[in-house]
Amino acid sequence: MKKECIAMLLAGGQGSRLYVLTGEMAKPAVAFGGKYRIIDFPLSNCTNSGIDTVGVLTQYRPLELNSYIGSGVPWDLDNSTGGVHILPPYMGSKGGTWYKGTANAIYQNMGFIDLYDPDYVVVLSGDHIYKMDYSRMVERHKAAGAACTISVMEVPWEEASRFGIMSVDENDLITEFAEKPKEPKSNLASMGIYVFSWQTLRKYLTEDEADPNSENDFGKNVIPAMLGNGEVMAAYRFSGYWKDVGTLESLWDANMDMLSPESGLDLLDESWPIYARSVNAPPAFLGARSRVCHSAFNRGSNIEGVVENSVLSPQVSIGEGARVSYSVLLPGVVVEPGAVVEYAILGENCRIGRNCRVGGTPENTAPAPWGLTVLAPGCVLEEGQTVAPGIMLDRDGKEVSRK
Amino acid sequence: MKGMHGIIFSYEKRNDLRELGEIRSASSIPFGGRYRAVDFSLSNLVNAGVTDVGVVLHGHYQSLLDHLGTGKDWDLSRKRGGLKILPPFAYKQKWGETAFRGKMEALAGVRSYLDTIRQDYVVLLEGDLVVNLPLAEIFETHIQSGADITVVCGNDSFATENGTYFELDHDGWVTDVLYHLHNPRGYRGLEAYIISTQLLKDLVDECFVHDQFSWRRDVLQARKDQLRLHAYVWNGFAAQIRSVQEYYDRSMQLLNPDIRAELFCQERPIRAKGADKSSAYIGPNGACVNSLVADGSYIEGKVENSILFPGVRVEEGAVIRNCVLFKETVIRRNAELAYIIADKNVEVLPDRTLMGHSSYPIVLAKGSVV
Repeated sequence: MKKECIAMLLAGGQGSRLYVLTGEMAKPAVAFGGKYRIIDFPLSNCTNSGIDTVGVLTQYRPLELNSYIGSGVPWDLDNSTGGVHILPPYMGSKGGTWYKGTANAIYQNMGFIDLYDPDYVVVLSGDHIYKMDYSRMVERHKAAGAACTISVMEVPWEEASRFGIMSVDENDLITEFAEKPKEPKSNLASMGIYVFSWQTLRKYLTEDEADPNSENDFGKNVIPAMLGNGEVMAAYRFSGYWKDVGTLESLWDANMDMLSPESGLDLLDESWPIYARSVNAPPAFLGARSRVCHSAFNRGSNIEGVVENSVLSPQVSIGEGARVSYSVLLPGVVVEPGAVVEYAILGENCRIGRNCRVGGTPENTAPAPWGLTVLAPGCVLEEGQTVAPGIMLDRDGKEVSRK
Repeated sequence: MKGMHGIIFSYEKRNDLRELGEIRSASSIPFGGRYRAVDFSLSNLVNAGVTDVGVVLHGHYQSLLDHLGTGKDWDLSRKRGGLKILPPFAYKQKWGETAFRGKMEALAGVRSYLDTIRQDYVVLLEGDLVVNLPLAEIFETHIQSGADITVVCGNDSFATENGTYFELDHDGWVTDVLYHLHNPRGYRGLEAYIISTQLLKDLVDECFVHDQFSWRRDVLQARKDQLRLHAYVWNGFAAQIRSVQEYYDRSMQLLNPDIRAELFCQERPIRAKGADKSSAYIGPNGACVNSLVADGSYIEGKVENSILFPGVRVEEGAVIRNCVLFKETVIRRNAELAYIIADKNVEVLPDRTLMGHSSYPIVLAKGSVV
């Protein structure tokens, strides 16, 4: 069945800079903003943009992600002609390989894309928090007669050297691309969102695969090759909230942004809903002695203590006399009475015993170096334990260093 | 085949639901911060492994149809069986003139449906019943007791509107069936019954040819000596939503953690239609205690002893006490509310003060601006 446009979502990366949070699941499956997973953002953007066929390329630890996506019902992607498809690497009669790079992942699934014979393919990554209408980007792509359109946003000049930077001409056509340049010529950063004309991309992917020296990566190989061959490459300017949540700090920041609509991340806006698969649980209960301020919380939670400036996922329990501030609690976390949690990210189903102290404020830590405290999913702290600021613990409570 | 088939009755009956019941049948009344009453019956059935459920409708059912959809939120959107919506396709009276006079008339109205039931037993439930029954266990009891009909009772004589009450002997056999009681006695019937499919069809046919329409009068009461009626007594929370007062009192009981633990027990989760709301949020100057708060609520004022459905907004300076606020209600700055039940999309303008009393909660009709 022909589709004008389908989306391919790269969700195979480990997300190693999220350390213990991605020990057992791929980055796109990590919980965000209380009720979401990171992947809800690109999936909801697709469905809101009218894209009803999405291939999700998985590789690293896919169990959590697969069961979360399921048949795609929460995102209205359970269509009979299209819908959401999980695409893991596979064996063929001549063997098979893991996905060697982002371009190779798409290359290996050319058969899937050809089923829909699309004019355009949107390539997305599963580690960004943003709301974007891809149909407008496809419009821009068509209007420019481009082979490839790359979504860009202006970043502060001093940060430009951390991004893939695009130089453009007066028509916003891309003239140059530099990955993390030391001396950036522009402050337009690539957001890792591409629209390709499928037949053109198909040709480049085949050539790229034949090149034994290629790393089979869009940013490193395919985009430069297209640019080098003089293909029309358009920039699509995006303004609005966009955040790469690839590091623990940026994940924490983005969660905090959600608490303040001024940040630009407004999840209450119903014209562009972000969908999520949610658990069956009664509404949150806030106890008689609880105090919750400037915080988000979710169903199935039971809050008897104090919660400030924090984001609580579903089914979190905060005991009486416990205090949680400036923290992000993933689903099922239990903080027992009297415990204090500050500036921390607590993974799924962590249990913080009575009177534990986890993390600390930057002010109280000085002059010692400060950092976020991070606990792996399933980590259990016995009564009275202390975990200093900047420490990261694995599931068994052993300290893990950030390499 | 062995097993149970579910039939849920959701047609208008005598009740005192005032504005809450004007626009919907009791089964689609919002309850508990994110549910509709019918979610409980549906979940009770699904949790007991029931795969086929018919919902008998008559009048004011648009809201219920919206809610049920294809039944996929309860895993009842199936190729074979699943959820069947049963408007009165064989009803002989002039359409829409009167509601069903009783369950037997309602069943006669869908008589051909009864022939398609694959299971040997049928569970009859009311859409206005809020309970978490272990139906699988009740079914076992039904088989073991050798009863013709198992009647499920609450362990109280609580005066519910238009309630049915049972007197039992020491072994749980029904000795009398009572209703229209000034002072209720015996065990309060939850209007949940298990009966074999064949017996149900025979009774429907018998009643039809004798112009008998009432289940409790013409079957339970009139045939109590021919039929073996056995009771299953449920000791937990069980609410029948039939009056505003009952609605209010039962809602407020949910602020008790023991009752919540029982009604929302994890082994038998209550499923509801998903609402795509973001997290609930309480602002820097907001405060909220002893309350149930659903997703997407945004609280900048003060809330106490209340139940907030999804997407409720309480602006700065507003004070909410002992209220139940349905979906998308907006309480503007400095308004003050106590003992109010606000239906969907109500807006209370700034500085208004509205006070009901625990013995007379005030209902604000859907969409009203105060």
